[in-house]
Amino acid sequence: MARAVSTRRKVAVSIIAWAIGLIIFFPILWTFLTSFKTEGTAIAVPPKFLFFDWTLENYFTVQERSDYFRHFSNSIISAVGSTIVGLIIAVPAAWAMAFSPTKRTKDVLMWMLSTKMLPAVGVLVPIYLLFRDFRLLDTHIGLIIVLTMINLPIIVWMLFTYFKEIPNDILEAARMDGAGLREEILYVLTPMAVPGIASTLLLNIILAWNEAFWTLNLTTTAAAPLTAFIASYSSPEGLFWAKLSAASTLAIAPILIMGWFSQKQLVRGLTFGAVK
Amino acid sequence: MTQAPPSDTARRKSGFARAIEHMFTRNIPAKIAATPMVTTVLVVFIGCTIWTIWYSFTGSRLLPSNEFVGLAQYERLFSTSRWNVSVRNLLFYGAFSLVFTLSIGFLLAVLMDQKIRFESAFRTIMLYPFALSFIVTGLVWQWIMNPTLGLQGTLRNMGWESFTFDWIARGDMVLYALLIAGLWQGTGFVMVLMLAGLRSIDDEIWKAARVDGIPAWRTYLFIVLPMMRGVFVTAVVLVGAGIVRLYDLVVALTNGGPGISSEVPAKYVYDYMFTAGNIGQGLAASTMMLVSVIIIIVPWAYLEFGGRGKNQ
Repeated sequence: MARAVSTRRKVAVSIIAWAIGLIIFFPILWTFLTSFKTEGTAIAVPPKFLFFDWTLENYFTVQERSDYFRHFSNSIISAVGSTIVGLIIAVPAAWAMAFSPTKRTKDVLMWMLSTKMLPAVGVLVPIYLLFRDFRLLDTHIGLIIVLTMINLPIIVWMLFTYFKEIPNDILEAARMDGAGLREEILYVLTPMAVPGIASTLLLNIILAWNEAFWTLNLTTTAAAPLTAFIASYSSPEGLFWAKLSAASTLAIAPILIMGWFSQKQLVRGLTFGAVK
Repeated sequence: MTQAPPSDTARRKSGFARAIEHMFTRNIPAKIAATPMVTTVLVVFIGCTIWTIWYSFTGSRLLPSNEFVGLAQYERLFSTSRWNVSVRNLLFYGAFSLVFTLSIGFLLAVLMDQKIRFESAFRTIMLYPFALSFIVTGLVWQWIMNPTLGLQGTLRNMGWESFTFDWIARGDMVLYALLIAGLWQGTGFVMVLMLAGLRSIDDEIWKAARVDGIPAWRTYLFIVLPMMRGVFVTAVVLVGAGIVRLYDLVVALTNGGPGISSEVPAKYVYDYMFTAGNIGQGLAASTMMLVSVIIIIVPWAYLEFGGRGKNQ
């Protein structure tokens, strides 16, 4: 948009761009391909790209060894659960800050966001001990609580930036036309806020899905999500490429597939609302 | 960022009592709406931070105890070479990763700032690494950089005998290995951010620059770049937050090795509290981390965001 460019140049730039894209994407692609190889083919020289005997064996081994589906459902429960709880707390807060800002609104926002910069490890011990005393270690509820808390500042901040874009005049017009608070929220605010909420939702699911520090420290088996599943392949199985690849693919596939089908929300969400 | 008009300040002072009254009566729904969030943040963050600081002055070992030892934990902390190495590593990684992600991200964005084909798919692919857990990034790169099995081994087996890429196994280079994995994860994200920033620049500015005969690179450097300040601030905040919390990537990629050459502060805290069973020492380290982040953030945030909501 910035400058008019000739077609030839445009094609050249597209090719360069896609070449860079391919380089960036290559590790993911290679992991995916390797997951279908036998351990022998995985380290074959020269490496085989597409023409090898595709096998699902690694996936069966991985499922058998560490029960992917249990970890998967744990991830779903904790990511979706924490997102829903987070939105319930954050939507009213962001709404309040966007539509009736006080002198301190900006400070509060800034302060909340700065907590996100603090090293999580600083509060690990008290949280760990609290969780132990309340018997929340290795439970879904515990995981949902902690994921909600760590992502709350980001959710509020993002929702705030979205809500702020909604023109106040429209709300006033609705009020003039006799809309009560309920109608205002239901028919005016909600439809305009939904795209922003959707991006926030997606971002938060991804953040919760990927959160490794807290999930590794606060769960052992019963509530362990996919991050724990993949981490268990880290050292002892480090040399079994094909199985490691299958495990990695299983762990990242849900996010990549979901992201592909909601590209707009993904880009908007992952850039924390900066890209419209 | 304009100064508040003097009349406003005067009114605020004279109406102090009224302001207090307002604090409780004005915007009741808004206050109620914000209460759950403010409570959560207050209780959890402030509460846990105070707890951490207090116990860093005690001799707690496996369990927290109230035996006060003054600054002993801190003296021990700063005489431990592993801690000093960790801090140096984090500073090194932080500085390089900030500079490189921002500059490469910006350069890529400039390159892409034309209508390339299938742009939305392209952006999504560039963002994919950022959507991955650090654990996965670490494992994938551990494998690529493994001297015998990864890139080096493959290229050597294919006939390029002298090819060397063994950074991950060398104490003096392992931080660069860490940096590559970190850049892979973060650069695409910064590029997408910067691209959006470039798009928001008014076309008129480009026209004006062209009329004046300013070359494109100078326009980018001296006109566009300063206009993208806001985007840069966002990028610095987000990349910076990732740097401070650097832990998972190190654990998955190098586990601090070889030796202690890629240790980071967060790992130090973790190991002392859970592996070495020395909570007091771990808490002293995490207090140091909290304090240094606060020392960096507070003045910067104050300058950047103008403190008392002047620019609302």
